[in-house]
Amino acid sequence: MANDNTKNRKAILVTPEVCIGCRACQVACKSWNQLPGIKTKNNGTYQNPPDLASAAFNIIRYSEVPSDKNPVRWLFVSRRCMHCDDAGCMKICPAPGALYRTKEGAVAFDRDKCIGCKLCVNACPFDVPRYDVEGKVTKCHLCFDRIDAGMQPACVKTCPTGALRFGDRAELISTAKKDGFNTIYGEQDLGGLGSIYAFKDAPKLYGMKDDPAIPSSVIFWHTVLKPFAVAGLGGVVAAAAIHYLTVGPHKDEEE
Amino acid sequence: MAEMVRKSSSDEIINHWIMALSCILLIISGYGFLFQIEGIGSLFGGFNAMKTVHNWLGVVFVLSLLYSMGHYFKDALEYDDDDRQWFKVAGGYLSHKVKVPPMGKYNPGQKLYYLAILAAGIAIALSGFAIWLIQDNAGLILLAHLVHNLAFCIFIIAVPVHIYLGTLANPGTFQIMVNGMVPLELARKRYPKWMKAAGKM
Repeated sequence: MANDNTKNRKAILVTPEVCIGCRACQVACKSWNQLPGIKTKNNGTYQNPPDLASAAFNIIRYSEVPSDKNPVRWLFVSRRCMHCDDAGCMKICPAPGALYRTKEGAVAFDRDKCIGCKLCVNACPFDVPRYDVEGKVTKCHLCFDRIDAGMQPACVKTCPTGALRFGDRAELISTAKKDGFNTIYGEQDLGGLGSIYAFKDAPKLYGMKDDPAIPSSVIFWHTVLKPFAVAGLGGVVAAAAIHYLTVGPHKDEEE
Repeated sequence: MAEMVRKSSSDEIINHWIMALSCILLIISGYGFLFQIEGIGSLFGGFNAMKTVHNWLGVVFVLSLLYSMGHYFKDALEYDDDDRQWFKVAGGYLSHKVKVPPMGKYNPGQKLYYLAILAAGIAIALSGFAIWLIQDNAGLILLAHLVHNLAFCIFIIAVPVHIYLGTLANPGTFQIMVNGMVPLELARKRYPKWMKAAGKM
């Protein structure tokens, strides 16, 4: 299900290899989106907060993955909404406009239209959407407001190493390939992601999901049950009408 | 005026209307959610309000469904040879020429309809409560979402059939859900075994 904006689709390219784990992206995101602080705790890792939260639209995941060559290999990967082209959250959402596609191809949200059913949380292949204290959806929206004003997303703007880059999705992919990154995570997954990752190693090393997919029950519901709900009702009403016109109503036998 | 017999108590009629109206509103709002239909949302005062209405109507519906077990459940479990024969002639609905066996108070189509609605109703209510109330259990919520929508498919097939058979297809039947009364003559033709048991034949 390619959206209409594939041609000018924008994306964030994450290059974990050059990420220094400074977390400036987390701070910039909080600052721009005016997100409150979170009471957190020490989990024995630099990763803080430990997971995405209603007040943390992006985090850096810190993984210690020692190898033979490098016994202290420490991998940083910036994580946020993947802005799937075929988005499970948008598919399952019952409230029109609560989750919507921006003209850059990102998935943004409208708090006022969200009804707080939380289905999007469970249909997301990447466990991204979170609910705030008022029970409304929150997540990264690719700073569509900044993009509209001709600026880069806050996290990209602040990144000191180029680990986060924003731009035309197709260009970012071809540049990354030219630079020798043979795995572009998210190039094809779910119709193509809006957050793409340039890897030289296996993405799994960085904690990336191997085959991200919308839950099969949601696919079944979308492709079978939804059409059936229309055809079934229409069919039954039509059958009743045909029955009434052909066989006709019940007649009690005359004695 | 022709002699009448009572087929449904006022208690049963009132409960049936609570069940029927809540069910229809739930189906309408359900379609609103399923296809994000703005017009249906507006009808309920927006999607936020519609969610509240849908959730609480679900409570009303399942309570009246459980209450209706006192009216129909026992009858719905009993089937005899005439019932089996009824299926062979499709209840006489496909042709007026076949001989339909004598029926009791309810025909087996009605009895199976009741059991189907009871099962689907309990399933749709439990899964609805799960979607409404459960937090942080993706597997369970997705299962509930699937069950809710599967049960919905049963409702949108069964309920229109029930409405058609209770109104246009069987003249005189709708009145039973208005005042509960059936003319004795008609009752003798349609429910002979029930009339016999009641000593009116």
